[in-house]
Amino acid sequence: MKKIISVFLTVLLAVMFSAGSSHSAAKPVLHMYTWADYIKPELVQRFEKEHSCKVVIDTFDSNEAMYAKIKAGASGYDIITPSSYMVAIMFKQGMLQKLSPALLPNLKNVDPDYLKFALDPKMDHSAPYMLTITGIACLKSKVKDFKPTWAMFERADLKGRMTMLNDMRETIGAALKFLGYSLNTTNVAELNAAKEVLIRWKKNLAKFENEQYKTGLASSEFLLVHGYSGDIMQVQKENKNIEFAIPTEGTSFSCDDLVIPKKASQAKLAHQFINFLYEPGVSAENTEFISYLCPNTASYDKLSDDLKKNPAIFFLKMQGSSKNEVIRDLGADNAKYTKIWDLVKGAE
Amino acid sequence: MKHSRLPLIITMIVLIFFYLPILVLVINSFNASRFGSTWEGWSLRWYERLWQEREIWQALENSLIIAFSATLVSIVLGSTAAFALHRYQSRLQQFHYTLIYTPLVVPEILMGISLLLFFAAAGMELGLFSIFLAHVTFCISYVALVILGRLQDFDFSIIEAAQDLGANWWTAAWKVLLPLLAPGIIAGGLLAFTLSIDDFVITFFVAGPGSTTLPIRIYSMIKHGSPPLINALSSILLVVTFVAVWLSQRLTGETQ
Repeated sequence: MKKIISVFLTVLLAVMFSAGSSHSAAKPVLHMYTWADYIKPELVQRFEKEHSCKVVIDTFDSNEAMYAKIKAGASGYDIITPSSYMVAIMFKQGMLQKLSPALLPNLKNVDPDYLKFALDPKMDHSAPYMLTITGIACLKSKVKDFKPTWAMFERADLKGRMTMLNDMRETIGAALKFLGYSLNTTNVAELNAAKEVLIRWKKNLAKFENEQYKTGLASSEFLLVHGYSGDIMQVQKENKNIEFAIPTEGTSFSCDDLVIPKKASQAKLAHQFINFLYEPGVSAENTEFISYLCPNTASYDKLSDDLKKNPAIFFLKMQGSSKNEVIRDLGADNAKYTKIWDLVKGAE
Repeated sequence: MKHSRLPLIITMIVLIFFYLPILVLVINSFNASRFGSTWEGWSLRWYERLWQEREIWQALENSLIIAFSATLVSIVLGSTAAFALHRYQSRLQQFHYTLIYTPLVVPEILMGISLLLFFAAAGMELGLFSIFLAHVTFCISYVALVILGRLQDFDFSIIEAAQDLGANWWTAAWKVLLPLLAPGIIAGGLLAFTLSIDDFVITFFVAGPGSTTLPIRIYSMIKHGSPPLINALSSILLVVTFVAVWLSQRLTGETQ
């Protein structure tokens, strides 16, 4: 018994000691709150060296959880990367600082093709960080005459081998786009038409699915899936037989933004960090690392040809990209989507 | 009378039920494919990549610091609480019992948010220390209840006998009470350690900048889908756990 306690104490002391020694720097510390693996580690080190500071990264797993935490009073973060819709909510509630354009000269290179769609097009309180798009992916060898259109979900020969996202806005949005409407519509007639389309498609689907579709596609269980570009690209690394396409009718894309919370203690350093992320070389390296697109026009030349040809990444400059849209938070009108979604999920 | 084979079969089924998923996880950690559904050959690439992930190790370090310190403190506080609850019956103790019991039934998310609100209102800086405090709050309850169970079958005449034979209260407690309670204390401690090291919800809310723990890190990694790394990490943790259990059995075996 005594032995156990002494072993225990020794381990505890050793651990505490090693922890104590690693936090000894008088340099300013920039605290970033973001998704895991959402910045190239070498870039962080470069920034630390250039500005003789330390960057500490903490991670969250959903916008909502992060919001709840900051809203309840958690402070100490200097830079956060929520998705655009969450940025809009946080800004409305006075949780964010305005950006100072004087400190951010590199933002002049933000792609105007993106800003057309941005929820904060003047970059008043947020700068875009990374863009992703939703599209369809298929197994080339098993799907005959694949066309980049939502109409693929009508194909009876693929019955039971297709999935769509289990996400109300994404999937109703797909049907709305198929019909030529905006995926942020609040028009009940349009939504009802989308409902009919989805109920028809549902007969051909294996299921509505957000996670397993990656595995299913890798193992040929599913032949055609509706999914996020980042996910599909991971599968593509293993199975070269997979093609990702953006439906010609348009689809949704989303952006994670860089924002500085009201209570940030290192606002100036945070601005320098945002400006740093928009240096052409830095943006390009980050895009290559994360496989999402940093919409920095000055960085496009530095991207590899593979990336530039890839519709999953370089979609802003692709033909027909003006039909894509960013999903907006609809406030009270969200209930209309919930109602339609319940009917679709409940339909036979 | 012939031995029935049923107990053996049931044991086997239970063992398979418990350990098969773990076995699959360990095997998959050596799978070259990042998707568990296809086998692309043996590979150590996930272990290699894991080795280079500075932030995962930092998170593991944070988790261990918190788990060890929270366990230690909650063992001390939990045992004293259990002792007080068992020895003294009064209205105050009933209230005390309710207080100890509450964290077991309060939903985690409620506890996380309320602790965060409390820390924010008190102007406390969030970090390892706030996580430590939060973990102690819920670990105490588990430790206290486990030890309370042990105390219920405890024969206090043994202590009285020791005192009759000339031991003072401290000697009696240290030489008689503590060794007899040790299994309960160790069980409570192990429970506290396990709960602390894999707590996500409460930790998420009370974590501050620079104090990401392993579960928080793992949940966040799912967005970019790095489960193979997690398989590798879990396999390493499993090995460490088995070695620790084996060591502690050796150690306790020696002293008895």
